[in-house]
Amino acid sequence: MTAEIRTSDGELLSIKLKKVERRRRTTAFLLAAPLLFFIVFTYVIPIFQMLGRSIDNVQMNEFLSETHEVMQTWDGSEMPGEDVTSTFYYELKTAVENKYHGKIATRLNYEKGGFTSLIKKTSRKLENFDENGNFLEQFIDVHKKWGDIEYWLAMKRGTDAYHFRKYLTTFDFEQKFDGSIERIEEKKRINVTLWLRTIFVAVGVTFCCFILAYPISHLLSVLPTRYSNLLMICVLLPFWTSLLVRTSSWMVLLQKQGVLNDTLVSLGIVADESRLELMYNMTGTFIAMTQILLPFMVLPLYSVMKTISPSLMRAATSMGATPFHAFRKIYFPLTYPGISAGSILVFVLAIGYYITPALVGGAKGILISNRIAYHMQQSLDWSLATAMATVLLIAVLVVYWLYNKIVGIDNMRLG
Amino acid sequence: MSRLTKLISLAALLVAPSMATAAEVNVVSWGGAYTESQKLGYGDPYQEMSGVQVNWIDYSGGLSEIKAQVESGAITWDIIDVYARDTIIGCDEGLFVEFDFDNDFPAGVNGMKASDDFFAPMPSKCAVGNILYSWNYAYNTDNVNFAGRYPDSMNDFFDPDTFPGVRSLYSSAMSNLEFALVADGVPASDVYDYMEDNGIDRALDKLSELCTHPKGGCIFWSAGAQPPEQLVSGEALMATGWNGRHFNAIVNEGSPMKMVWDGQILDYEYFVLVKGGPNQDEAMKALQYFTSSEGLAGSAKHIAYAPFRISSLDVIMADEPWFYSEQAGAVEIMPHMPTAPANTENYVLMNPEWYADNNTEINDAWEAWKANL
Repeated sequence: MTAEIRTSDGELLSIKLKKVERRRRTTAFLLAAPLLFFIVFTYVIPIFQMLGRSIDNVQMNEFLSETHEVMQTWDGSEMPGEDVTSTFYYELKTAVENKYHGKIATRLNYEKGGFTSLIKKTSRKLENFDENGNFLEQFIDVHKKWGDIEYWLAMKRGTDAYHFRKYLTTFDFEQKFDGSIERIEEKKRINVTLWLRTIFVAVGVTFCCFILAYPISHLLSVLPTRYSNLLMICVLLPFWTSLLVRTSSWMVLLQKQGVLNDTLVSLGIVADESRLELMYNMTGTFIAMTQILLPFMVLPLYSVMKTISPSLMRAATSMGATPFHAFRKIYFPLTYPGISAGSILVFVLAIGYYITPALVGGAKGILISNRIAYHMQQSLDWSLATAMATVLLIAVLVVYWLYNKIVGIDNMRLG
Repeated sequence: MSRLTKLISLAALLVAPSMATAAEVNVVSWGGAYTESQKLGYGDPYQEMSGVQVNWIDYSGGLSEIKAQVESGAITWDIIDVYARDTIIGCDEGLFVEFDFDNDFPAGVNGMKASDDFFAPMPSKCAVGNILYSWNYAYNTDNVNFAGRYPDSMNDFFDPDTFPGVRSLYSSAMSNLEFALVADGVPASDVYDYMEDNGIDRALDKLSELCTHPKGGCIFWSAGAQPPEQLVSGEALMATGWNGRHFNAIVNEGSPMKMVWDGQILDYEYFVLVKGGPNQDEAMKALQYFTSSEGLAGSAKHIAYAPFRISSLDVIMADEPWFYSEQAGAVEIMPHMPTAPANTENYVLMNPEWYADNNTEINDAWEAWKANL
C-alpha cells in the first residue's frame, strides 16, 4: 500500500489540491462574470432575438388568429367559403375599431403586393357591409382584387406563425402558391445585384488598401523614430476624426467644382466643360472607403514589419540574392501575418459599410447594408432586414472559416 | 419605513428637481430654412408669450422614427410636420391624436370657423393644415453648360440632348413619377388616373431614359437644403426641390438661380400631434397657436410657402411687403407663392391618398429601379 500524502490538517493532498484549484477557477469566473453577463444580456441575446424576427410571424398570426384557424380547413383549390370570408370580415372589423388594420395591411403586403390598398380601401367601406351573408360578393364589390384567389392564398400563407420565405427574398427568389420556387420578375430584382456589388466593393477596397498601405508601412518601420512618429501621426490623425466629417471632406474634394477638379482645370489638364465625375459613382466610393479604412491595414502591417530584422535582408543580399529576389523570398513571406490580419479587418469592415458609399456613391453606392437599413427604417419590414443581416453575418463567418483553413488563425498578428 | 422604500424616496427626491423644469414641447420638422421660418414665425413668439420652451428637432420625413419610438415605448416627439400621405397612414395605425376640428382649432381673424378658414379639407382626422408648397425645379443661370439657352418647361428637364448635364432628383418616388409623366405628355391634371394604369412603369422608363442618357445622368437629394447646394456647386445642372428652399437660396444667399414653374406639383403640408407624446397637453396648446391666422402668416414672413388659412393671406396682403430678411430687406411675397396665378398655369395637385394606398408597391418599384440604374 502506497503512502498517502496528507497535508498538515490531515486531508489528502490530491483532494486539497483539487479544492484549491476549483476555488481559484470560481474566483476567476466570478471576476469575469459581470462582463460576461453584460455581454450576454446587452449583446448576444438582443442579436439572437433580432435574428429570430427573420422567421417569426407570430404577431400577424395573432391579429388574424380565427381566420387563420378557419383557413386550415380550406384547401385553396377554389375560392374560400362563407366561413372564411365572414370570419375575416369580423376580425377586420375589430382591427379597424382598434386601429391595427394598418399593421395588418403592411404585413400582408410583404406577402403579396397590392394588399395595402386592398385592406385600406376595404376598411373604409366596412361599415356599409350587410352582415347577413354573401361576404365574398361584398368584398369583391368593394375591390375586384378580392375575386383573385391569390390574395386569399397569400392571406392563408401570411398568417402562418413561422416561415423562411424572407431568405428566398434575400436572393430575389419567391415561393409560388403551388410550392415551387422561382426567381422574381426581372424588373423587381434588386438584392442579388447588391450582394455582388457589395462583395466587389469589399474585395476591391481591401486590395486598394493593401497596395497603398504596404509601402507606407515599410517606410514607417525603417525610418528613425522621430520621423516615423510624425508619419504615424499623419496616418492616425484621420483615424481619430469622425466618419461623417471625413466623408463630407471627400465630398468637398471630389465634387465637380471641388478642390481636385479646380486644380486640374487651373493646371489646364482638364477642360472646364468636361470636369471629372469623381463623385456619385464607383470611383468616389473606392477613393473614400480606401482612405477611411487605410489605418486598419497600415497598423497590423507596421507592427509585423517592425519585428523583421534588417539583418535578414542583408544576409540574403550578401549571399548573392538580387534585392527583388530577397524581397520576394525573405521579406514578403515574413509579412504574411500582417497582410492577412489587415485584409480580414478591412474586408469585414468594408462589407458592412453603408454611410460613406451612400453619401459619396449616390445611386451606384447602394450596398446590401443600405437595403438592410432601408428595410429597418423605411419599409419597416424587419423580418426581411434581419434575414439579410443573418446572411451577411454568415458570409463574414464563412470568410473567417476559410481564412482559418487556408492561413490559420494563429498566423494572424495584430502587433 | 423599510430600508428599500427609504432608498426609493431618496432617489425620487434626487430625480424630482430635474423633472420639474419648465414645460416644453418637442416639434419635429424638415430642418434648414423651413424650420427657421417656423421657429421665427410662430415658435419663438409662442415661447415668449406662454413661457413654454419650444424645441425644434430635424428629420427627413417618413414615419419610421415615430413608429420605432412607439414600439419601444419611449416617445420623445410631440408635434410632427408631415406629408399628407403620412397623416393618413399614421392616423390609420393609431399613431396620432384625432382632432375635433372646429372645437380644437380657433376661428380665423376674419371670423370664419376653422374648417371653413382652411383652404382644403384635411386628408385625415389627425391632420391640421400648415402650408401649401411646391415641388418644382431650378437651375443655376451661371452654369457654363447652358450656353445662353435656358430651360422653361418640364420637357426641358427631361431633354439631355438640348441641356446636357446631371439632374438631381428627390431620393424617393414622390414628385419624380409625376414630373416624368408630365414630361411624357400626360396632362398635368390627369397624372394620377394614368398612375393606376401602368403609369409607374411608364414614368420609370422615362426616368431611365434621362438617367442613363450619356449626356444626362441623375443624382439624388434627401434633405431640402441639398438641391440649391448642388446647383451652386455645379454638381447638378438642374435640380427638383421645394420652392421655399430655392427662394431662400435666391433671395437670402444671392445664388444665381431661377425656378421653372411649368409642371410644378402643388402639395400640402400638415402638423400632427403624437398620441401619448411626453407633453401632449402643452403640445396641443402650442399647435393651436401655430395654426392660428397670425401663426401661419408669421412663417410666410420668412419663407415663400403659402399659409393654409385664407385669413392668414388676408393678414399678409394687408401688410405687404410682408417677407423680411436681413440680407434681402422687405420683399413682396405674394408673387412668389406656389399659388400665385403666374406659377399655376400648368400644375399637378398632389394626391396623397394614392401614395397612402400604394405606398409599398411604389417604394418597391422605385428602389429596384434606383438600384439597377
